[in-house]
Amino acid sequence: MATATAGAFVAAEAPSRRRGARLRRFIRRNPTLFAGGAILSLVALVALVAPLIAGDPLTMQPAQRLRPPSEANWLGTDNLGRDVFSRTVYGARVSLFVGLSVASFSVVVGLFIGLLTGYFRRVDAVAMRLMDGLMAIPAILLAIALVALTRASVMTVIVAITIPEVPRVVRLVRSVVLSVREAPYVEAAIAGGTPVWKILFRHILPNTVPPLIVQATYICASAILIEAALSFLGAGTPPEIPTWGNMIAQSRLFLSRAPWTIFAPGIALAVVVLAVNLLGDGLRDRLDPRLARRM
Amino acid sequence: MLAYIARRLASTVLVMGIVGVFVFLLLHLSPGDPAAIIAGDNATPEQIAGIRQRLGLEDPLPVQFLRWAVAVVQGDLGISIFSNEPVIKLIGQRIEPTLSLALTTLIVAVTLAVTFGVLAAWRAGSWIDRSLMVVSVLGFSVPVFVVGYMLIYVFAITLRWLPVQGYAPLGEGFGPWIERLVLPSIALGLAYVALIARITRTAMLDVLAEDYIRTAKAKGVATAPMLLKHALKNAGVPIITVIGIGVALLIGGVVITETVFNIPGVGRLVVDAISKRDYPIIQGVILLFSGVYVVVNLMVDLTYTVLDPRIRY
Amino acid sequence: MRTTRRGVLAGGLAAVTATGAPGIIRAQAQPARARTIRAVMHADLRVLDPIWTTANITAYHGAMIYDALFAMDANFEPRPQMVGKWRVSDDKRSYTFELREGLKFSDGTSVMADDCVASLRRWAVRDGAGQHLFRRVTDTPVVDDKTFRIVLSEPYGLLIGALAKLSTSNCWMMRKKEAESDPNQQIRETVGSGPFLYNRDETRPGNRYVYDRNPNYVPRSEPASGLAGGKVVKVDRVVFENIGDEQTSLAALQNGEIDFFEVPPQDLVPDLEKDQNLEIRVLNKTGHIGFMRMNFLHPPFDNVEARRGMQHLVNQADVMRAIFGESKYWQRCGAYFACGTPMENDANTDWFKGGPNLAKAKEFFGKSGYDGRPVVVLQPTDHYFGNPAGMFIAQWLRQAGVNVDLAASDWGAVLNRRAVKKPPNDGGWNIFSTTATGEAFSNPINFSGHAANGDKAWFGWPSNERQEKLRDDWALADTLEERKRIARDMQANAWDYVHHLYLGQFFRASAWRKTVSGVIGMPEIVPFWNMEKKG
Repeated sequence: MATATAGAFVAAEAPSRRRGARLRRFIRRNPTLFAGGAILSLVALVALVAPLIAGDPLTMQPAQRLRPPSEANWLGTDNLGRDVFSRTVYGARVSLFVGLSVASFSVVVGLFIGLLTGYFRRVDAVAMRLMDGLMAIPAILLAIALVALTRASVMTVIVAITIPEVPRVVRLVRSVVLSVREAPYVEAAIAGGTPVWKILFRHILPNTVPPLIVQATYICASAILIEAALSFLGAGTPPEIPTWGNMIAQSRLFLSRAPWTIFAPGIALAVVVLAVNLLGDGLRDRLDPRLARRM
Repeated sequence: MLAYIARRLASTVLVMGIVGVFVFLLLHLSPGDPAAIIAGDNATPEQIAGIRQRLGLEDPLPVQFLRWAVAVVQGDLGISIFSNEPVIKLIGQRIEPTLSLALTTLIVAVTLAVTFGVLAAWRAGSWIDRSLMVVSVLGFSVPVFVVGYMLIYVFAITLRWLPVQGYAPLGEGFGPWIERLVLPSIALGLAYVALIARITRTAMLDVLAEDYIRTAKAKGVATAPMLLKHALKNAGVPIITVIGIGVALLIGGVVITETVFNIPGVGRLVVDAISKRDYPIIQGVILLFSGVYVVVNLMVDLTYTVLDPRIRY
Repeated sequence: MRTTRRGVLAGGLAAVTATGAPGIIRAQAQPARARTIRAVMHADLRVLDPIWTTANITAYHGAMIYDALFAMDANFEPRPQMVGKWRVSDDKRSYTFELREGLKFSDGTSVMADDCVASLRRWAVRDGAGQHLFRRVTDTPVVDDKTFRIVLSEPYGLLIGALAKLSTSNCWMMRKKEAESDPNQQIRETVGSGPFLYNRDETRPGNRYVYDRNPNYVPRSEPASGLAGGKVVKVDRVVFENIGDEQTSLAALQNGEIDFFEVPPQDLVPDLEKDQNLEIRVLNKTGHIGFMRMNFLHPPFDNVEARRGMQHLVNQADVMRAIFGESKYWQRCGAYFACGTPMENDANTDWFKGGPNLAKAKEFFGKSGYDGRPVVVLQPTDHYFGNPAGMFIAQWLRQAGVNVDLAASDWGAVLNRRAVKKPPNDGGWNIFSTTATGEAFSNPINFSGHAANGDKAWFGWPSNERQEKLRDDWALADTLEERKRIARDMQANAWDYVHHLYLGQFFRASAWRKTVSGVIGMPEIVPFWNMEKKG
């Protein structure tokens, strides 16, 4: 991974052909990338236009609880009489938001710390011990504790899942920086008196991008799952807000009596996590030529 | 080599110290009061205040931290606020189920995953490869507790092959012990299988492309011995690495699996402790888990030197 | 002499690592499965001192290993339990109690009068009813080994009822040694004179709690009735299993891995009723009341008009249906002292009979001068009742045009936050909800939630002088008729200043395998004596 370079992007640029043929070739060469990307785009679209296709996901109508799927409620209602279809659709917003936020926050924070620790030896020793410490605390326990001990909100959950991910990103970035730092062109730049920020941004940062993109997809997938696990343990997003995780967790008593309450968010969650993972695999194969040649 | 181990040990201690500070601050700077929980729903504010004082929760934070840290260094994790039992003793009572679950999961997962991974690499691109990879990606995509409920529903309630929940100590016989660990191990191991199978496949592909394997092949070494003796041995480094990383995954999964299957392990101990703000237990267990993580990764690092003589420090 | 003997015994047990199991009665080996009842109760047993905490699960623990002077029978009449003979002086200011023969603590020593006096005094420090009683107690002289008195400054008709009270903290008898310890610190010993022994060796805190039959317990000769009568233990061992996950507990019950499930998820009770192997019954006939407290200290609910607005928003059926579905296990209830209790009445309940009234609620909020500030509703997401209740309260308020800040957290954080008297935007709160038994609500004195003495009252700190006066009148009233009359006044007054509000009365059914019989149904405590297990 550390040796991956932005060159992979360039190599992928094929000579121009007709668009249709190019697309077909892209799909044939990158089936996982395409499948993952297509599913995710579809889900993202649904999430965006949620207010147009779904009804009210919040109002509880206990008189109409646990209704099986019908014309009025396409996917039935849950134990509080809320429309499962609407909640599943709106759930896409929150679940994707959680996944994407965790991925981008941990990448941004991890990148910042990683660049600094990799480049400045003095920061390195202290920061890496701190990171080791954070990494040693089991992520899920840290998250439960954070959510249980502070107020439950989507933001708390995002922060709680992000914190344990940061050290992993830091390690990745740091290893790239360490290897690139020794490269002749970087040493030349240092010798030439180029300002540090310029070296970091122009020479080192680009090398971290491909592995980070891959890492970010895996973080996104695991964040969506951890959110579900937190909901299961009663430390997730507030029950009022629909996420697939807390829909599954809240409906687990009704598995046999009202399976639709759990199947709809369950399938949505599995499909999206699967798609994100596929996307990650596809990206890795494309961005990391060492692995790509064998797919 | 010795100097390297000493250095690693020193940094381990430092890391544990950092973990201690993190955990203590996290718990004590956030809301939630064990006194209010102990006192019960109908307790008056005066009763709660009295309990707070008794527990030493009114002292300044640095005082509380020092008191705790000094005791921990002496091997004393404190006394549970709720059960009044020493935390060490409580963890001791819960360690066997957690260890059993972790070990059976590890054995099941590594066996399955390495087999899958080797097979997939051996027939890279074939339907075996593709289907194994799909299964392994699926393993990453379903929440552990959903898998757990499904397994209970099918194998315990419908087929009645296995018990729903609980744990039988190994002292009561191997049969009852393993019987109750089968479903939890599968539920917990699924993600693990997925992870290790993928890495094994990748590592095997790397090795299979090396010259000496091609030579062995050309010499007519039979497939099975070749795969196992030459390739797998060399694929060991990444597999071991991933086991090290996977310990974190395993610890996280244990917390949920123990809850679903009512296994009286350390994971449930700490989840219960968090909900009732039993600070000494939370601190003790997180320290323990972190310690396990750090030690396992230390051992993983040391194993490298054995598996791959080229690595020198 | 006696003290010395105990001193020696106690000295042998190191404070922290004390086995608790008395030296002379060894921990039993595993009894046969058939002689063991495995039960999943409503909560984890976290504290072992039933005087120190008011948690119900600890009261269950108390009922296992301790005994009481008096106990409520099935008709809610107090009956002597540890007491053999007793009498009241003619001026009703002196009660004399004589302990019956054969009472022994699990450490082998006999129960003495001074043990009981010390226990009474410790209980009176912690418990509301005890405090109310002991304000009138001038002395508790020990007459001889087995006899003691309670001397009052004025007649107090509730005395025997208080000693037999069902709601926590119950008046359990402990050894003098523990009873004389600081009432604000929980005791660690588990030495009682009750029908069961706490088996500390087999117990795993947070996982399972083991009670063995006390072979030295001498039950009364009468048949068991409620918590009174002969407590005959018919099994060797009772284990409280703490399974935690409801779904798993349910599967374990259906699979025969546990025998008794105190509160299966109420939504699934109709399914359980179809299972031929299971018996389903409501043990607590007075049920539970879900109720919400409003904070009297801060706007908007410092203003009675806002509280009246809330009063007209509550839709009990919504909350009940959401948790229990359409079922016979819940009802709407507008009686301030709970429905189905002696003090139930219908004074000042027109607002309730009319059902929720959005227009009126808006009108009241308008009158209160509500300024749009967000109302902080605490929502404990891990509490079966508080979680949905919080969401409904928020929904009703929003429908009335009130801004809501629905603060989700776990129950532990709610317990902490509800004690904060600061303004809602500074870590305080406006509304939270929880439950208590109908039995608790039925008594204006015993239940801390009925207090209306402002700062000193229970969370929400309702303040109403007239209500306080009425509570005292009730306690000192001579006849049941008079109490009922005062209860009417109290209810009329309470609904007028809106002390708190009810979200429904419900009856949680328990489920057990048909191999178990002899289950006694009472509020507040599930007794395990008299229970039998076949096969």
